[in-house]
This record gives sequence, C-alpha cells and structure tokens, in this order.
Amino acid sequence: MNGKRVVFSPVTRLSGLLSVEVFLDKGKVAEANVSGTMFRGYEWIMRGRQLTDAVYMTQRICGICSLAHGAVSSYLLDKIFDNELTANAQYLRNIMYAADFLQNHIRHFYLFSLPDFVRMPPRPPFHRQDVADLRLSSHDNLRLAGHYAKAVKAAQQSHEILTLFGGKVPHQHSFLHGGVATAPTADKVNRALALCGEISAFVRNAMMPDTELIAGVYSDYFNIGVTPRRLLSFGLFKFGAKNERLWWPSGVTDDGQISVPDLQQISEHIGRSWFEDADNSVDGPGQKPAPQKPGAYTWVKSVTYAGRHFQVGPLARLIITGQYQGGTSTMDRIYARSLETLFLSELLSEWLKRLEPGPPPIHQKHQPVLSEATAATDSMRGALLHSARISGDTVTAYNIITPTAWNFSPKSAKGERGPAESALVGAEISKPDMLFTVLGRIVRSFDPCIPCATHVLSPMKPPSPVDMEQRNRPSQSSTFCT
Amino acid sequence: MRKEAFISLCRRLSGRRDHTLVKELLPIVTDYCRRNKKKKLPVVWIETNDSGDNNISFLNTTYPFADKVFTDMIDLLYSNTFMAAQGGAALEILDAVANKEQYTLVVEGAVPLKDNGLYTIIARTEDRNITALEAVARLGASAEYVVALGTCASFGGPSAARPNISGSAGVRQVLDREVINVSGCPVNPDWFVGTLAHLILYGRPELDGLGRPLLFYGFTVHRHCQRRSYFDRQDFADKLGDIECMFSLGCVGPRTNADCPYRQWTNYVNWPVRANTPCIGCTNEDFPDGSTPFFTPLPQKRALGRGPKVRLGAKGTKK
Repeated sequence: MNGKRVVFSPVTRLSGLLSVEVFLDKGKVAEANVSGTMFRGYEWIMRGRQLTDAVYMTQRICGICSLAHGAVSSYLLDKIFDNELTANAQYLRNIMYAADFLQNHIRHFYLFSLPDFVRMPPRPPFHRQDVADLRLSSHDNLRLAGHYAKAVKAAQQSHEILTLFGGKVPHQHSFLHGGVATAPTADKVNRALALCGEISAFVRNAMMPDTELIAGVYSDYFNIGVTPRRLLSFGLFKFGAKNERLWWPSGVTDDGQISVPDLQQISEHIGRSWFEDADNSVDGPGQKPAPQKPGAYTWVKSVTYAGRHFQVGPLARLIITGQYQGGTSTMDRIYARSLETLFLSELLSEWLKRLEPGPPPIHQKHQPVLSEATAATDSMRGALLHSARISGDTVTAYNIITPTAWNFSPKSAKGERGPAESALVGAEISKPDMLFTVLGRIVRSFDPCIPCATHVLSPMKPPSPVDMEQRNRPSQSSTFCT
Repeated sequence: MRKEAFISLCRRLSGRRDHTLVKELLPIVTDYCRRNKKKKLPVVWIETNDSGDNNISFLNTTYPFADKVFTDMIDLLYSNTFMAAQGGAALEILDAVANKEQYTLVVEGAVPLKDNGLYTIIARTEDRNITALEAVARLGASAEYVVALGTCASFGGPSAARPNISGSAGVRQVLDREVINVSGCPVNPDWFVGTLAHLILYGRPELDGLGRPLLFYGFTVHRHCQRRSYFDRQDFADKLGDIECMFSLGCVGPRTNADCPYRQWTNYVNWPVRANTPCIGCTNEDFPDGSTPFFTPLPQKRALGRGPKVRLGAKGTKK
C-alpha cells in the first residue's frame, strides 16, 4: 500500500468499538480500512432456541436501536405463524418504533456528532476535545453546546413514550409477534402525546435550526465524504393485517431509476473478515471465527446487492422516498437524519391520535405454517434483515444482516470499497492536525453501530466447541499508547 | 446523611409522582463533596463485549437528567460513548489516568477470553491491539473500585450465552479482586447512579452473594409484584396481554432479585409485568440461558445449561 499509514482508534462517540486505518498520499486519504473490533456471534446463540425467544434475544444485539431487532424478528414470526395484525396493533407498533428512532437520532446528533462541530465545556467527558476546526461564533456555540442537555432530556422523553407501552427500554417487552401486549389506554396515550409535543418542539426549535446552522457554517462537508449514489432501503413502518403495506416504500437505486429491492440479490462475503475461508460464501461450510486471519481486518462481513456495495440509512431512505433532493456527502447524511427526525416527530403525534383506546392489540397464533422465512425492514441506520429456519418450534439457522454491515462493509470479493471506506478515500487533509477531525466527521455521519454489525456469523454448520483451556494471559504492557 | 437514611431512600417505594432517586441523591452528594473538600468521583468507563444498552439506559436517568450526573457527581475521564476526545488523544487520557490517578473502573460488557481476547479490541495503535482482556486486567488491578455494569459485565450475560464462541466471561473471572456487580439487561439507571453515590458517600456498598449491592437487589421481583395476589390465588394468565399472574407464561420473577415492580423504568412509568409480559430474569447470574425458553413456565424451562465454564489458569488473574 502506498502512502503513510495512520491508525484512527478508538473512534469514540458511536455505538461499539470501531477503528479506522488510512493511508495518506499527497495530503489525501488514498485508502481506508474500517474495522469493527468486537464479536459475539448472535446467530450461533439463536440456534437451538425456541423461535419465540427471537424477539427478546435479538434485541440484545443492540443497545441504541434494540427495538429494530425486536420489530424485524416480530415481522419474521408473524410470517411463520401467519398472524393477523389489527390496525390498532400496527399503529401502536409504529408509535413505539418511531419513538425509538427519535431517541436514536437525537442522541446521535447531539451526543455523538455535536462535539465534531461545537466547542464543548472543557470538563469531562469533553476534555481534550479536538478543536482544530471549530468555526461557530461564540454566541452560536454557546447556544448549541447548551442544547446538549436539552437533547439528553428529549431523548429520555422519547424512550419514556416507548416504555409507556413497552414495559422497559432498552429491550422492550410488549412488541411481539401477533401485535402489542399493552393496552393503549387513554391515560397512556395522553401522556405520550404530551411527551411527543415537547419532543417535537425541541426538534423544530433546536435540532432543525442547529442542523441548518452547522450545515451552513460547515458547507464544505457537502463535498466531503461523498459516496457512490448506490442507495438501498427496505421501507419503513409496516401496516396491514399481514405487514404487507409500508408507510415509506422500499427501493434500490444505482444512480438512476428506483426499483423494488429483490432480496435474492443480497450476498455476503468474508474474504476480508475474521472468519475462516471455506468457500467464501455465507451458505457454505466453515464460518468459524478466525481473529488472526491474514489479510482480514474486521468482524463485519462485506454485504452486497447485485454484487455492489450500497449505502443505507436516513439519507438513502429520504432520497428513495423522494423526501430529500441532495447528494451523498457527510453533511447530506447528517442533514437527512435531522430532517427525518422532524418528519417522525410529526408522524408520531398523528399516529397517537389515530390509536383507539382499548384492550391489548395482540393475537398470537402458535402453529408454524412455514419452516423458513425472511423479514426485512428499515431501522434507524437503514436496511435490516432477519431470516430463520426452524424445525418444529426450534431454530436451526438464524441469519441477520444489519445496516452497519452495509455501510461499514470491508472490501468486496471484487475489491470494491464499502460505503464508509469510499467516503473516506479522497478526503483532503489540509493540515496534519485536521486528520482525525475530518475522518471523525465522515465516519460519524453514518451513525455506525458496531455491536449490530459484528455479531454476524451464519450457523449453517454446528459450531466447534470452544477450547476454554487454551488461554493465554493478558499481555502485561505498562502503556496503552505504544 | 446517615447511611441508614441513604439506604432507605434508595429503597423507597414511593408512589409520589415527582419522586426520583437522582433528584434526592445529587444534592446530598454535592453537599458532601463540598463540605469534605472532595472531588467528584473519577470514573473510567470501558466498553467491552456488549450491546451498549447500559450507557443508553444510563442516559434515561431522570430527573435531573444524565448530564447532571456528569457535572455534579462524576468526572467521566474515559468513555468510548461520551468522550469528546478521539483517536490517540483518547488513549493518552487512558494512559495518564491508569498511571497517575485514583479512579473507579466501570466495565460495560463481558470480556472474551478465547484467542487471548482478540474478539474484543477496545482500541488499536500503529502496531498493536489493546484487547478488552488487557484493558480490564490492567485498569482493574489499580482501580479503587471496579463496577461491572450490566449482566454481561457481571456474569457474562447474553454475550456469553451458549455456545459462547468468543469465550466471554464476567469481569470477576478476569480480576483477582472484588467486583461490584450492578447487573441487569440493561441496568436500571437508578441502580447504577445509586451505587456510584454510595461509593462517594460511604465507600463499598454491602453486597449479596453474587457481588450485587443489597440496596437494589435485596428482594425478588415476585415479592413486590403487583400481581402477587393473583399468584397466591393461582389465577394465572392464559396469554400475553392478560392481567393475571405471568407465571404461566414463563415469568422468572420468583427467582430474580430486582426492584422493578416499584422502581420501574424510564422515569418510573412501566415495567415488563405491568406491560402484560413475563419478567425474564435479566439480573440473574444465569441470564439468558437460565430464562429461556422465555415463555415456558419456570418449572418446565429446559435445563439448557450455559456455555463452557471459563477458568483462568494464569495465577493472579483468576478469581
């Protein structure tokens, strides 16, 4: 590899553990490798368990978007059990899901992204902030930094709405196959509406103007971190008795026409991932973890559609649904996420008003009518897919493809970079002290979630037993920095 | 404040609408620090093999909100989720703290032991990986207190669910010292903030046999469950969504120590049984394998057993 190698790690202010390696040549990023550095193996964990354990188990893949896994696995079980969903069940599900989106997007913008653009108070946890390129006037800066605390409250309120119906959060309890186990009583709906009003006001009066201000002052980021215009969305918010209708339609585009995604076109590749190469395809044998595999640099698999990498997330969703006309840059991703927050805060209030107070809208069937099924939906970070095979009521195989696996894919079989890698390559680094500033802004605009992305392993073959005796002692280095 | 009064405050079964534990605790802590000329509690928060749900749950602290915990109660010196510093600057902070300062180590997540810990790398330098195993072993050895946050950090939890192919284990299996286990999947923010307040005011809290503060884990969910009278009358739910006792649908409240029935979640508004679903025992040592199948009644839950038991051979690292 040409150029000077630099390791950007840890990439803080995101969900999970991520490292980025770049090669610099003539003041530009010439190559980038993004590494998800944690692995749990949820698909192995699902094997041999009862199918109905899927919602509570898979929610535990992710802390910040837990309901996304609960939702898609509920859709999967709805298919397998042939459940009929009532209108009230769908409104309630979507209210809960939208509330979790608000929580996620508000926390991402203010807690993760804001310190990239705004000078924070010089005390923990903001000490040693990277201040190489902070441009806001002191007046504006003061206002935006002050919104950090307001955002903490608004995100908590979003989760309070979800908890009113879901019992707890993260890892809610009531959104299950067949509907929702909680009764939408008038007192719950009214309290949720009051909270929603406060959240909407925050999004309208703080988050949107703050996003506009940052987008204006840092407008060069509309030209930085640009990805190819290959975008994918599985659609969002299911309605209908069989989850057959989508509020926001699905779509896939490769710089032109938008068509309906064909799930058969999706494939995974592990050539650069820490898994044993067997025949290099997911359905093949092998897939054992191999953390020392030469040439591999991440636990994330390369996920492709028709052989190419596609970007997913709020930006892809809004472009595909015609709600945003813009590019595919760092600032477009940030702007689209805030815009989506605004849309969802309005939708949430509308749906709450359509909910009819009454008994718990849940009707579960218990006899599987299918022995395998796939469910797909968009989630906070984009396209999410669960598929399962069962024997009786027991899971024999469970596969999960997360949004962060799409966005943080390593090189594909053909050597094509994933969306985050392609956004990084070409970035100009005007001064050495700007390097992490630029890289951090680009990476965070994707809202990466590494616990989601790196659990993945397809369990088509029984796992080999873990040899617990083969253990080395932790290295006794006296410093982390060397 | 006398310790007994603090304990009863933490355990208060208040139905008062404006009661929040953090609102009561923060002034006591700030007042104590001011009068005793003590600094806020320095905290190093390491994320390991976990979903990140515990830091999200912490952010659901009410009321005041989580940012007030940062300003008034702890100095969060290192946290992958919250710190502004990034890259090498973040690692330099970690080094400086580890070598010079007194701190409380919070570990969020299990620690993979297989392949020398390569399944979770908390950061990389130009020439090497810093595994969770190395970071926890090293930071844990010199910390004043070690707090395992959530069930993964406490006991392995979902990260160590069978077949546990990363060989994940709780922090106590890595460190040869006392670990305060604040379990839960996720932790309730009150359990965490209350434990930190106890560390500041009175030092180490009294722990149960599993290393958990008795403050919050002293009683079973069953004991305080609002549906206990249904259980006593053997009036069980037929299906999810029913208002009767959830024991018939897999509830593990009778063998789960937590105060969810009155503490509840996210500003004290709800908890799983009130949402007409079973408690799945997320604070337990054997969660999740001891709780699955989740909807099968407790006596009939299959004895699935956990993944291979982890034993450390190296002297000095085994508890």
